[in-house]
Amino acid sequence: MSKQRTVTFNHNPLLRHGLPAWRPRAVMLGLMACSLALIGRAMYLQGVNNEFLQAKGESRYARVLEVPATRGRVTDRHGDMLAVSTPVRSIWAIPTDVNLTPPDARKLAGLLEMDVQELNRRLAAGRDFVYLKRQVSPESAQQIADLKLAGVHQQQEYRRYYPGGEVMAHVLGFTGVDDKGQEGVELAFDGTLAGKAGARRVIRDRRGQIIEDVEAIRAPRDGQDLALSIDAKIQYLAYSALRQAMQTHKAKAGASVVLDARTGEVLALVNAPTYNPNNRSNLSGAQLRNRVLTDVYEPGSIMKPFIVGLALDRGKVQPGTIIDTSPGRMTIGRATISDSHRNGALTVAQVIQKSSNIGTVKVAMHFSPDEMWRLYDDLGFGKPLNLGFPGEAGGRLRPAKTWKPIEQATMSYGHGVSVSLIQMAHAYLAFARDGELVPLSLTRLDAPPVGGKRIFSAATAREMRGMLELASGPGGTAPKAQVAGYRVAGKTGTAIKLEGAHYTNKYVSSYVGLAPASDPRLIVAVMIDEPSAGQYYGGAVAAPVFAQITEGALRALGVAPDAPLVPLQLAQKQGAVVPARENM
Amino acid sequence: MKFVTALSGWISSRNTGGIGSDTSRAVNRLMRPQTPARDLDPLLIWSAAALLLIGLVMVYSSSIAIAEGSKFTGYQQYYFVIRHAIFLAIGVVGGLMAFQVTMRQWQQFAPLLFLAGLALLVIVLIPGVGREVNGAQRWLPLGPVNLQPSELMKLFAALYAADYTVRKLPDMGSFRRGFLPMAITIVLVGFLLLREPDFGAFVVVAAIAFGVLFLGGINVRVFVLLAIVAVIGLALLVWLSPYRRDRLFGFMDPWQDAFGKGYQLSHALIAFGRGEWFGVGLGASVEKLFYLPEAHTDFLLAVIAEELGFVGVLTIVVLFAILVHRAMMIGREAIKLERYFSGLVAMGIGLWIGVQSFINMGVNTGLLPTKGLTLPLMSFGGSGIVANCIALAILLRVDWENRQVMRGRS
Repeated sequence: MSKQRTVTFNHNPLLRHGLPAWRPRAVMLGLMACSLALIGRAMYLQGVNNEFLQAKGESRYARVLEVPATRGRVTDRHGDMLAVSTPVRSIWAIPTDVNLTPPDARKLAGLLEMDVQELNRRLAAGRDFVYLKRQVSPESAQQIADLKLAGVHQQQEYRRYYPGGEVMAHVLGFTGVDDKGQEGVELAFDGTLAGKAGARRVIRDRRGQIIEDVEAIRAPRDGQDLALSIDAKIQYLAYSALRQAMQTHKAKAGASVVLDARTGEVLALVNAPTYNPNNRSNLSGAQLRNRVLTDVYEPGSIMKPFIVGLALDRGKVQPGTIIDTSPGRMTIGRATISDSHRNGALTVAQVIQKSSNIGTVKVAMHFSPDEMWRLYDDLGFGKPLNLGFPGEAGGRLRPAKTWKPIEQATMSYGHGVSVSLIQMAHAYLAFARDGELVPLSLTRLDAPPVGGKRIFSAATAREMRGMLELASGPGGTAPKAQVAGYRVAGKTGTAIKLEGAHYTNKYVSSYVGLAPASDPRLIVAVMIDEPSAGQYYGGAVAAPVFAQITEGALRALGVAPDAPLVPLQLAQKQGAVVPARENM
Repeated sequence: MKFVTALSGWISSRNTGGIGSDTSRAVNRLMRPQTPARDLDPLLIWSAAALLLIGLVMVYSSSIAIAEGSKFTGYQQYYFVIRHAIFLAIGVVGGLMAFQVTMRQWQQFAPLLFLAGLALLVIVLIPGVGREVNGAQRWLPLGPVNLQPSELMKLFAALYAADYTVRKLPDMGSFRRGFLPMAITIVLVGFLLLREPDFGAFVVVAAIAFGVLFLGGINVRVFVLLAIVAVIGLALLVWLSPYRRDRLFGFMDPWQDAFGKGYQLSHALIAFGRGEWFGVGLGASVEKLFYLPEAHTDFLLAVIAEELGFVGVLTIVVLFAILVHRAMMIGREAIKLERYFSGLVAMGIGLWIGVQSFINMGVNTGLLPTKGLTLPLMSFGGSGIVANCIALAILLRVDWENRQVMRGRS
């Protein structure tokens, strides 16, 4: 370092050293250069690189929010509300932003209807976003908003409400918490009912509050309303009749479907047991099952009229053709089939009336397996009806080539083949509509369908209706199916349940009928699963349900009576049943 | 006005003699703008006043959201701006009082003040006495307010360095006698400041001290050596401490770890980008809504950039440049008049404000690594504002005394 000694005699050392004037200038220049650097940098950030920086900013605080669309309403054919969307709010939180005092926590937990521990457990979740509770009523949500808690937010949503409750449950199904259809019509017609949520871009502060609505990206499109073919009044009738029968006969389950014979519209579709779609906690699979559509069973005698119809149509037999059914047993190959009673010689009409297995088999023997298969296939058995319902069953109808003679015989009277109740009701349209089948519809039709599929000639269909009317008359298997003021036609079925590969001693009692027989308007099918109060014949268990539904439904529709108002039922007091004539 | 009259009365009664009455006249002039303040530098006053007032407005704008949304402030939106205004008032009163002190008196008391500053820096480190916020023990609680000794130390360092340089002028060429004592002193101050820790304050204090030494004529070779040692030392410090190293690399590419180490800077840069040329408008900043931490203190410029745009930033930079330039000019004037202490004090204050504002703005724009330094005269912070006001008063005092000398009144 400088060894220069500065001990001088000058009174002012600065005269020698001075303060160099270039130094302040240099410092000044340096600072001004810094200022210029700052200005240059600011120009770069604010004038050149600004788009990149703004994009970065957008990605941090711009959010695209969903604007929920309202789901379409579901009504019955007369416009009565069956499913409506009500606004609700979901309460969510950013746990790290939430800092609740104990009184606040108590208040919030109270409004959310949960206990404080549960609330704290949710808030302790190590996530950025947690639902505290979904689908909270607008009133509670407002009270929560009034608490002004940091980190607790709300979101507009819709909740489905079903005014019809358990009566309509299986028709309508329900939506999930995300407003998407999960069962029934809600699922089948989800594409129509579901709206398309809109979107808007907003800017939010770091605490999630929206501070600016930047733009609407897409307007929400509400879902379309849907008018079902269901008639709420008939649906209620069917439901209460079914429930009553379930109790009387201590049945495991039951189902019923009512069709409009003129249009193929489904007027009622009920199942038991059922559930309350508005409160679906502790729901069991048995309650959820839509037995009308998803359960298949061996229909039994209900099947008999079809093959007889085909024989009439092809001129193989006449209604008066005599068929000898004695001795009430018949051996085909190594198997034996039998009637429950020895009927002796019967006309074809009586075969139906008395429900003779042997008579039916003898009629069926006029046809090859292939012809019979084609009939069943034309009637829609073995394949789903494609109503769009989830889990719709097709039933079992094996290819004709694999049929053994004994199988063809049993299939003619409804064993070895399985169908769903709605398939059976649909097939009976052929008798009700003078030989013509039309597809079924769950939605209200503006015009009756044209050009159905012809199965039988109109004459055959009329003859068959006559036979079916006899079967429901005093000498038939189901006199309890009769309705005051109207002529009814129909057929009972009592099938032994097949479990695994074995027949059990459990029964499925069913009845399918049409009314009024002179000009059919309705087809009503009833199925009671495992009646266990003693009676199990279709005529005793299912036929009275048919009568109850049909009577109410015809009155509700204002159909003119076609029979003299003779109190037919008075002839038989309750309990005076005629199960002896029944067959399987 | 009554207060001012009383104040000048009090001043004249205390300071008997020519200067005292002149001082009270000057104070009256200062308070009455209709009288042309010929005795004071108008550019300096107006640029400082503009910075202080813009600072007040921007502190309010940038703190509304955090004040309103915090339990700590009792959800009052005026929480910070009221405190800032009170400190500003205290600063103005303090400045008026400081203006009364002659430069000779400042020189007399400079070593004592420096020692007092050192003592405060020691006291603040005593556990239980100093108050810790966010892991830094920088504040001394004094009843309702907190004193930040490091802010006062910057002023005392400027005064002491000037006094030291003037005393050691003959030794300015000597490393051992001219440079070493000051270097040791600064190392001591640095040690205390880094214990808090307050790295930013240390950088400013060192810049003031060595800057004054440099302006005071220290041997250039010594200074170059010092610069080299400082750079190596700083590099080592940064290299050995992972915390500082991360800060250094974080500023180089904030988008690398934009939600971690680069979080603060990336939000500051976004604020600049959003502001464009003319800003999004006063009050319309989004970044201040909890995204940008320290919006009303260290990152006030980012909010200015967003709300007032490049025009606002340019205004601030230019105002600081004017202020610093005037300080240096006043310093040179004083030195020309052979008032070396006054000259070096003025330049020291100029360096202080220049260096600190540059570092703060450099940090905001991503030119410099992130460190905790406020924007002088503008950012929220009581001790800082009061110390800045007193420094401005001393600057004006130097200028005023210069003018007196030139008029031959001294």
